[in-house]
Amino acid sequence: MSKTINIARYNPQTDSRPQLQAFQVESDNSTSVLDALLQVQQQDPSLGFRWSCRMAICGSCGVMVNGIPKLGCKTFLRDYPDELTVSALAHFNVEKDLIVDMQPFLTHLAAVKPYLINDDQSSQPHRQTPAQLAKYQQFANCINCGLCYSACPQFGLNPEFLGPAAITLAQRYNLDSRDAGKTARMPELNSKNGVWGCTFVGFCSEVCPKKVDPAAAVNQGKVASAGDFIISMFKP
Amino acid sequence: MNLKKPGSSKPEPGSYQPVMPRNWWLQHRYFQIYMLREATVLPLLFFIGCLLYGLYCLSLGETQWQHWLAFMAQPWVVLLNLLAFSASLFHAKTFFELFPRVMPLAPPGLMIAGQWLATLLVATGLVLLLGGWL
Repeated sequence: MSKTINIARYNPQTDSRPQLQAFQVESDNSTSVLDALLQVQQQDPSLGFRWSCRMAICGSCGVMVNGIPKLGCKTFLRDYPDELTVSALAHFNVEKDLIVDMQPFLTHLAAVKPYLINDDQSSQPHRQTPAQLAKYQQFANCINCGLCYSACPQFGLNPEFLGPAAITLAQRYNLDSRDAGKTARMPELNSKNGVWGCTFVGFCSEVCPKKVDPAAAVNQGKVASAGDFIISMFKP
Repeated sequence: MNLKKPGSSKPEPGSYQPVMPRNWWLQHRYFQIYMLREATVLPLLFFIGCLLYGLYCLSLGETQWQHWLAFMAQPWVVLLNLLAFSASLFHAKTFFELFPRVMPLAPPGLMIAGQWLATLLVATGLVLLLGGWL
């Protein structure tokens, strides 16, 4: 059947702001939003959007569908009535059509030192028990799609807020038994743009396509930050 | 980090910088429920005001205390306090559901049930303790 897809178009050379443009696409039970966008691109090759794997692994095809952040490949036209609106991810600068500048997101990820930090020079593998793995495994499932940043009103209001994915990643490494870098990460988490910028809206966890539950990670980060503060009071 | 705040400066040439509207929280149901959760503090402020006024009246003597009891029995005060009561129950529900995610000490269902049970016990204890005075 035929459905109408309204796409927020933006050409940086001619437009001052995005404008909706309607397209007709053919859809069946298996047509994803990404499939629909590829159909539209056949009609209008100038349409710009990112995609790669088509199986919710690469995290490239994040868009707003009717105002909610979604992965295009994991969202299906069958779940929408005859018409839907697709626009670029919220809270990021739009470069063209559905393509946003992800640089702020990447800067925030890098700021929390998202890698194992330890002084161990041995070439032996770092052993870990299933229980130690279970402590952080859920938070390690993030695919860096950025949907949680588009869902987060705090990031929208203050782009310097570290945001859900970055804090989750910090928590993921802080909880890893092989890591000794918590001291290096805590100043960033304790800062005013760190964990305390979160007001537990919780929408980040709702939109997360990998069920990472970033809101839980951020608020566990608040417990860690409070603990860090109390310990620092007793240190000379 | 050197990031610009939306709306605080001109957009970078060649890109559109979105600005969050003031009514962002009206955009969909999830944000509306979040704001409702945050707004539960407003009727609670009224209830706290009533309590403080009651303490003040108590310090002034029996006539003022009787005056406060009459004030508290007025329909609009009862209505507002009922609103404060339901708001705090709603806030407690959201809090109890979020708590196991922040401190995963036991299975979430068990933690939620435990918190409601503790609330019930404390509330019953307080009513039994203070009930005789009222």
